[in-house]
Amino acid sequence: MLGIRLSRLPVSAKIFCTLYLLGIGCGAIAAMGQAATAVGLTPADVQASFAREMPMTSLGPSGHGQHQSAEREISIGDISSVAKVWVRTPLLIQTSHTHLFGQTLIAGLLGLIFLFSSLGERVKSAILALPFVGTLIDIGGMWLTRFVWAPLSVLVIAGGTLFALGYTLITLIALYELWLKKETTA
Amino acid sequence: MRYVIVTLALALALTSPALAHLTPPVVLVSDRDAVVSLLPGARRFFVREVRLGDKEKAAIKQASGWTPEEDFYRFYIGRDDQGRMVGALVFVGDATIHGSVRVATAFDRDGKVRGASVVELTEETYPWVKPLIDEEFTRDWVGHDSQSRFALSDPLARARSNSMTQFYGNVIANLVRRAAILYDYGVRPSGSAMLQ
Repeated sequence: MLGIRLSRLPVSAKIFCTLYLLGIGCGAIAAMGQAATAVGLTPADVQASFAREMPMTSLGPSGHGQHQSAEREISIGDISSVAKVWVRTPLLIQTSHTHLFGQTLIAGLLGLIFLFSSLGERVKSAILALPFVGTLIDIGGMWLTRFVWAPLSVLVIAGGTLFALGYTLITLIALYELWLKKETTA
Repeated sequence: MRYVIVTLALALALTSPALAHLTPPVVLVSDRDAVVSLLPGARRFFVREVRLGDKEKAAIKQASGWTPEEDFYRFYIGRDDQGRMVGALVFVGDATIHGSVRVATAFDRDGKVRGASVVELTEETYPWVKPLIDEEFTRDWVGHDSQSRFALSDPLARARSNSMTQFYGNVIANLVRRAAILYDYGVRPSGSAMLQ
């Protein structure tokens, strides 16, 4: 773009790009570890933390304004033994705004570096869009899981995967072009 | 010098919203562990789910100033081998400015508190509440019911000297009282009759 290529950057710029990409990678691994321990990395884990609580009994649907109750016997094994974080709406709002700002800024800087890749426009556009789209699907999936349909928790995993895929592709291609690619003269 | 001050002020203004952010949750006890530890003697377990009616919500609001907002409340009922009720437990939570607080409270058949445990806090609130947990502060409320006054007792004066500890002690006391009110309307046989 604009005649600038990653492979032609001065050494200081190459070091800056490399350290930024590596730093973000370390942050992403730490973030994945945090998500794995606090919530889990499967759609079922996400559902357990984000979805609205569903009745364990035959309690009917709400909306009549009347007292309703239902009871059934359970085994102690039916009660969750996992110290699981239950994400309520205030925490969902907080998580959404910090992650939307944070991940979009990260995706923006990744994309900015990747704009100077020598790939064709179509491929470049598709790859640099991945972290942005992944972020929107990830955070959007949390809200859909809570307020629309619990099985949409799969979107949270899909969004996170897209973000990671975008980061990995951008980093590998950028590092290759920064340090290994030989410039050919026309 | 002026530029330094302006820059610092700007940086402070930009970062200050971060101070208002909630910190991550800290789960102290799983639901199962809370049920087992607070309902000793129970051999069989039942789950009773109660959706409060509009009249009940209005009565609770009038009596306590609190309006139950959950779609339904889940009580875990413990019974002995003969099917006699040993006690019931309900989890009640609240979203405070520093994050969620969730408490498990168990009751005997008459709606008297058998015990209560803080099950979830946040990283920020945990250091404020820990001195109270270390003093087993909820023991003071054993035997209380929905009509009792839930407050931090005098022997906790040292722990209460921190204003945030005092504040969260009162938040937890309110949650235990809410649990007692919910027990009256959800489990106690005469609960709904209180409205008539």
